Amino acid sequence: MRWITLLGRIGTVILMIGLALLVAWLIPSGAGFQSTWSQPIEPEQYMIRELRVYSPQTGLQISVNSTDNVHVYILGVSLVELDNWRTLVREAYPDLDEIFIRLWVVPMIFFHEAYPEETPPNLDDPQTWDMMWDVAVLDKGLQTHPEIILWDPPPSSTFSHELFPADALDIMVIIANPSSSAVEVETEIRDLAAVAAKERVIVAARLLIPIGIALAIPWLVSKKVKKSTF
Amino acid sequence: MRKGRPFLEIFTYALDEDYRFPILEIFAFLFALGTFVFVDLGAYSGQTGEALAYSLVTTLCGFPLLFIFVVLILKNVAYGLGSDLDRGVIQTLFSYPLKRRYILTARLLSGLGIALLLFFGIQIFGLFLLAPDVILTYPSTVFLTYAAQLCSPVLLLAGLVLFFTLRLKRGGLALVIGVILFLAGLIVSGFVTSIAYGTGSDLSLKIWAVINPNSALQIYYYDMGASLFASESWVPSFSEVLLYLGAGYLIVAALFVIGYVYFDRRLEI
Repeated sequence: MRWITLLGRIGTVILMIGLALLVAWLIPSGAGFQSTWSQPIEPEQYMIRELRVYSPQTGLQISVNSTDNVHVYILGVSLVELDNWRTLVREAYPDLDEIFIRLWVVPMIFFHEAYPEETPPNLDDPQTWDMMWDVAVLDKGLQTHPEIILWDPPPSSTFSHELFPADALDIMVIIANPSSSAVEVETEIRDLAAVAAKERVIVAARLLIPIGIALAIPWLVSKKVKKSTF
Repeated sequence: MRKGRPFLEIFTYALDEDYRFPILEIFAFLFALGTFVFVDLGAYSGQTGEALAYSLVTTLCGFPLLFIFVVLILKNVAYGLGSDLDRGVIQTLFSYPLKRRYILTARLLSGLGIALLLFFGIQIFGLFLLAPDVILTYPSTVFLTYAAQLCSPVLLLAGLVLFFTLRLKRGGLALVIGVILFLAGLIVSGFVTSIAYGTGSDLSLKIWAVINPNSALQIYYYDMGASLFASESWVPSFSEVLLYLGAGYLIVAALFVIGYVYFDRRLEI
């Protein structure tokens, strides 16, 4: 009887945790901060915009409109990995201004991997600066680090996508212009907020609720029998 | 009769009293829901490494959840033990062939141990769901932050309330004192920083860090980048943080020893 009570109480606790996860999953997501920007991209060049850390609870909705077909990538780098890359860039280019490392660590890594012997990219050195933003460098970088690509749709002039990363990741948007003429690109990002990491929470809830019910039923039945006996 | 059986009898009695259905279930629901509702992983943009792990854990066991947890602990220690003293149940427990300190241990194991198991079990489970890479990469930071949060206010208050309950023999009053002390701690922590900035002396911060080691850990990680407003005054080294944590646990241990000694020798029943 004591074992039934113990397992029953463990079961009801597990059931309540599962129900709490279900409630967290049911709370709808809401829209937050919105930003829009528009900029030209030179032929066979790309631009990157580091947004911020998004998580299974904080996602984003992106819309892109351009005057010609472009490639859009959403990249997600873990905070630990990003820290490692910053250290790597600092070691590769000890004299580089910290602001460049903060703003463009991913293009710097791609550039360093494509041209390991080259001097660090610098605004005063247009040649290396242009080399850094070359789509060939981007393609090579993405081939080397395919794990950071979260969204890679086929080329188009209109895009719209909603994303909640599976982990807390630093999210970046890359827009590449593969054509031989400049394009004008307008991008809109809207932050989305959800109470919990939807996918993981529902998986855990689906697992915990049946386990909790299975453990609690014998105890609840024996409790009812005991009550009706007295 | 072996010593274990009466101990288990008292432990089972304490469990029944502390967690009558559905008290345990309600707290489990609140802890689980709160863990997911109060944390915003996106709020830590720019933070990396150990500072990020510290911020995450601190937010996870932040004010609303910690307060609910402290209420559960105080209810068990003050109200549970207090009502045993008040209703004379403790005299029945003393009739068991068991030393008084074991009776208190069984009571605290139920009131404190099970509550801690529930709270930290759900917290670690939540962390694994929300940010598995953080907990797997920085387990020592996560453990250290929980150890600091646990020391003060949780265990410190539990030790104080245990003594007040035994001394006053009235759980209700001890419970009120515990809640007041918890809120006073929150107010004092704000004052201490102002005093340090106002006087230009670190003494108040250091004294507070002995009582509340989490403040030393907080300054240490804020300086590392957990906050945009890095501390301009005292920043302890990591070994100093460990020293303050050790001192905090010594105070907690001393409070519990006083409680045990009082229960063993001075409690007149």
